[in-house]
Amino acid sequence: MTVASPSASGPAAPARPRKPAPSRALILGLVAVVAITAWAAWEIEFELTSLFENFSNGWVVIQDFLHPNWSYLGNASTAWLETISIAVVASFFGVAVGLVFAYMASQVTNRSTRLYRFTKWFLAVLRSLPDVAYVLIFVALVGVGSLAGILALFIFNIGIAAKLTAETIDAVDAGPLEAADASGAGTFSRARWAVQPQILPNFLSYALYIFELNIRSSVVIGYAGGGGIGQLIQVQFARFNYENVSAIVISMFVVVLLIDQLSQYLRRRLV
Amino acid sequence: MSAETTESATRTARPQEPGKARATIGALVLVVLVVAGGYLSNADWGKLPDIFTEGWRYFYLMLKGLVQNPFSEPYSEYWSSAFTGMLESISMAWIGTLIGAVLSIPMGFLAARNVSNQVVVQITRVILNVIRTLPELVFAIILLLPIFGFGPNAGALALGIGAVGTLGKLTAEALEGIDPGPVEAARASGAPRSAILRWTYWSQVLPEVLAFWLYRFEINIRASAILGVIGAGGIGSVLSQAFRYREWDFIGILLFVIIVVTVLIDSVSGAVRHRIISGTGKTDKDIDTEPVGL
Repeated sequence: MTVASPSASGPAAPARPRKPAPSRALILGLVAVVAITAWAAWEIEFELTSLFENFSNGWVVIQDFLHPNWSYLGNASTAWLETISIAVVASFFGVAVGLVFAYMASQVTNRSTRLYRFTKWFLAVLRSLPDVAYVLIFVALVGVGSLAGILALFIFNIGIAAKLTAETIDAVDAGPLEAADASGAGTFSRARWAVQPQILPNFLSYALYIFELNIRSSVVIGYAGGGGIGQLIQVQFARFNYENVSAIVISMFVVVLLIDQLSQYLRRRLV
Repeated sequence: MSAETTESATRTARPQEPGKARATIGALVLVVLVVAGGYLSNADWGKLPDIFTEGWRYFYLMLKGLVQNPFSEPYSEYWSSAFTGMLESISMAWIGTLIGAVLSIPMGFLAARNVSNQVVVQITRVILNVIRTLPELVFAIILLLPIFGFGPNAGALALGIGAVGTLGKLTAEALEGIDPGPVEAARASGAPRSAILRWTYWSQVLPEVLAFWLYRFEINIRASAILGVIGAGGIGSVLSQAFRYREWDFIGILLFVIIVVTVLIDSVSGAVRHRIISGTGKTDKDIDTEPVGL
């Protein structure tokens, strides 16, 4: 690099162009990032010394994890059946309702600007709450159990399905829409016959993606009282049965991997 | 219909409608799956009406908490603890994202097929996939609670580890999609490997990767609430506490703060992401769509 410095090259060679100074926005941004980081680290009292000081505490747990209790897999499989059932029901109804909201959240299909704005706002609110908040709400309403998990995931899925599908609707080919308009189609039949065939493959692949998401969040759902595999983890963890938790975590690997593969296969056939 | 077509045989026959058998079978299978799911999930469907009868009452109580004078007792306390909790959650998410971002840079390079050799790529991808499979909650309960104890520090580390999986994968994919021209130019001028990686690979993916980080930050704010439920601090801990004592007016305030702050941060971060990506001139790309892989 130093060979190319202007002093070394001959006088005939054009001078190397000056490096542009960093822009003010960049400097301000970097300062802001550093300031936020320092403040955040102070706020949560960030430290890593525990990692070295208390590592032996963790090592005991890790050793338990290295000896999973294989006989516990039987219990895990019933809980997995419950979790998968929860995910199937919640994603089915979630994406079905989400589709209706998606039509309302795109200006292609929704010709009322006011309703469109309201739907957008409503969906943003729906998405801003984490899934665990919905579980807590429904546990308070219908008690601990799978029903709370299904309802929480149902509401959560509406937000995601509507957002993803609405973006797809925004990008549909306008030809069929014009044809439908020319033949005097109403808002409903326009959406059903000019838009839906175009978005169906994408919509089904979103539905599969949402099903995967629901399986992944099953731990959280169950931990907060929504039934399924998460509840099993919570109980076993509270009793310090780390060998059992380890077996459950291993089963989670297998299930998530299998469902990923299945959904990838189905999605490839769809799109 | 059939009579008409046989009469006017000279006219071109109406094309036969494509079979609907596959779609029908698919729909039937789906219905069977959903019904079986409803049965096997052990859900107590009889309690479903409760959400309408009880729901309104609780919703009313939550709204009542919101419209009370925020400077009177105990509402001033509620508001201030909601904001403190939210700030802690945001800090947790920020530090977690930074940890994930820093760790994901080397992982991304190691997992990119056009940077590392095949064996390293495969090993790194397996590690990233394992991390992506496990939710943050598992990291938190397995490793961090015994070592760091309950608190936001453990939460931030769990979020960081969780973020490495997705960020590493997305970084690797971005690196694989770069324009090879600058790489060849740098190689031809005899640049050392470190300079090639820094000035041709990294420079090209930096805007995209920054956008991924910001998007992950938005996700981590929600995820930090989840970790709060197991005691990692932040608004999640306050929320589950409030639910335990059924303080509906407090819950209303907490949910309100979560919604408003999350929507605010999402829109700021979305605007920054938009600016970062469109600043590179990639305007033809749909910049508003978020990476679904996260």
